[in-house]
Amino acid sequence: MAGSAQWRYPAFSRSIIVIVGGFGSGKTEVAVNLAKFMKANGHEEISLVDLDLVNPYFRTREAKGELKELGIDLIAPEGGKFYADLPILLPQVRSLVESPEGLLILDVGGDEQGTKALGSISDIFKDGEYDMLMVLNSRRPQTSTVEATLATMNRVEGTSRLKFTGLISNTHMIEETDAGIVMEGYNLSTEISEKTGLPLAFVSAKGKVLESLNMNEIGCPVLPLTRSLLKPWERKENTA
Amino acid sequence: MAKKLMKGNEAIGEAAIAAGAPHYFAYPITPQSEVAEYLCWRIPEVGGVFVQAESEVAVGNMLFGAAATGMRVFTTSSSPGISLMQEAISYMAGAQLPVVLVNIMRGGPGLGGILPAQSDYNQAVKGGGHGDYKTIVLAPASVQEAVDLMILGFDLADKYRNPVMLIGDGMIGQMMESVEFPEKYRDPVSPEGKDWALTGAKGRKARITKSLFLDPEKLEINSIELDRKYKRVEAEEIRFEKYKVSNKNKILIVAYGSMARICQTVIDELEEEGISVGLFRPITLYPFPGQAIHIEAVKANIKTVLVVEMSMGQMIEDVDRYLKGKKPIEFYGRTGGIVPSPNEVKDKIRTILKSKKAESK
Repeated sequence: MAGSAQWRYPAFSRSIIVIVGGFGSGKTEVAVNLAKFMKANGHEEISLVDLDLVNPYFRTREAKGELKELGIDLIAPEGGKFYADLPILLPQVRSLVESPEGLLILDVGGDEQGTKALGSISDIFKDGEYDMLMVLNSRRPQTSTVEATLATMNRVEGTSRLKFTGLISNTHMIEETDAGIVMEGYNLSTEISEKTGLPLAFVSAKGKVLESLNMNEIGCPVLPLTRSLLKPWERKENTA
Repeated sequence: MAKKLMKGNEAIGEAAIAAGAPHYFAYPITPQSEVAEYLCWRIPEVGGVFVQAESEVAVGNMLFGAAATGMRVFTTSSSPGISLMQEAISYMAGAQLPVVLVNIMRGGPGLGGILPAQSDYNQAVKGGGHGDYKTIVLAPASVQEAVDLMILGFDLADKYRNPVMLIGDGMIGQMMESVEFPEKYRDPVSPEGKDWALTGAKGRKARITKSLFLDPEKLEINSIELDRKYKRVEAEEIRFEKYKVSNKNKILIVAYGSMARICQTVIDELEEEGISVGLFRPITLYPFPGQAIHIEAVKANIKTVLVVEMSMGQMIEDVDRYLKGKKPIEFYGRTGGIVPSPNEVKDKIRTILKSKKAESK
């Protein structure tokens, strides 16, 4: 990866990472890419839980084949329920959170509606043992301003009964994302970080876009993304 | 206005606001529920009306009543919900009321599944309800086009006093794309100038909005009036788009909605292999651009017309109707929520070209 020598990558000391974001935040791409990145960087055992109980399409489970090839365990409903938009919380999620084997990443969709399921098992999360990160896209209404974002985060903390420990700046317009859009989101995320006291865990964007940024202006790690959830007419980009 | 990143369903809701139509009646169903989710906070901001009905049958009847007031009204639903509304749609067509209906299609028949499909083509285009009537049917292929056609849809509904239906497979509702809205939104459209609207008869002769005509002479006159209107629609409102259509094309694809986007990928990739294929994309499904397809299809360079749909083959009947046997027609389709991949369509094209080669030997 050209220009990546000076990049600082995300690192986590806790074994549970909860990724939260509404639709359009890019939370699922972030969760899938983070799992792939951690796998490539020494975490042998990784389980990725698809806890998106709200969206009917474009969910983590659609990256099933790709994750399997990489040896990342996907926890999602099977059979007909794989395609359902039902609030299914699989029983093994509870035991995985209680005693995670390796790294556990939970992809929780749908803002406060989607995090209700998480709230039903909040009793087994222990403070200091999990990270809960909010994915921010300043081009989406629920995270377009400091006020809107704080309100959204408040509601999520209410229904999930868990506390955020950090932020992810993932401002994007899908294929139209450029350095300007990423920086616009980064600046807003920095403001939110100052207001909340929560650290920015990382900035994520497509590798090509990250390469066009001035890294001296970025005060946190970066995570390069490769899109996994494509529209039926889109082709996988060549990452070689 | 700066570009926004929106889910198709949200954008469809916002487009109605932009069109001066903040009056919405609906019942949630996947994959279009985000329209209602979006509008439940957005409509109060602009002072409109949002009623979540107890069923889609109720939605249809609420629309009939609300449309009769001359305000711009609409609903959104998905396949089984649209089936439940058919009685009211026929009533509104009979009573010549403007209304916009959105069908974000899922796989059927019956409850089917929640993944994308285009298998409600016949229902939308051939009536759906009973009687001699037509619905103007618009089929967007992107989130931006869904916005543009929603706004156009309200204008067409008013212009022709007729139901307009926007149909998109589930992908159109669920996918995220960047989108731009008009700088200036229309003020909520008032019944002024609509000499048929029920606005209170104080100081004027009462008006009646109905689809019941017990006198057969009068009922026939109503149907003849409707028919004249549809002839005008067919003459003036046909819309389509062509993609890489040229005299080098061996095959002409006819596809609409998301399916057309997939076929564009197919065409771009085959072009690199030296295989020339063109795409004809109907934007209005009724009125159907059959004559325009005919003009392209009969050109000497076209060996075969390939219709691609997310169904077992519905639009192909209309293509066939206009081609009148003048060119061979092939079909490729998947259904049940399975979206054909570009590779499947490419394989189909290679098979067609191979058999053509064998024939000409």
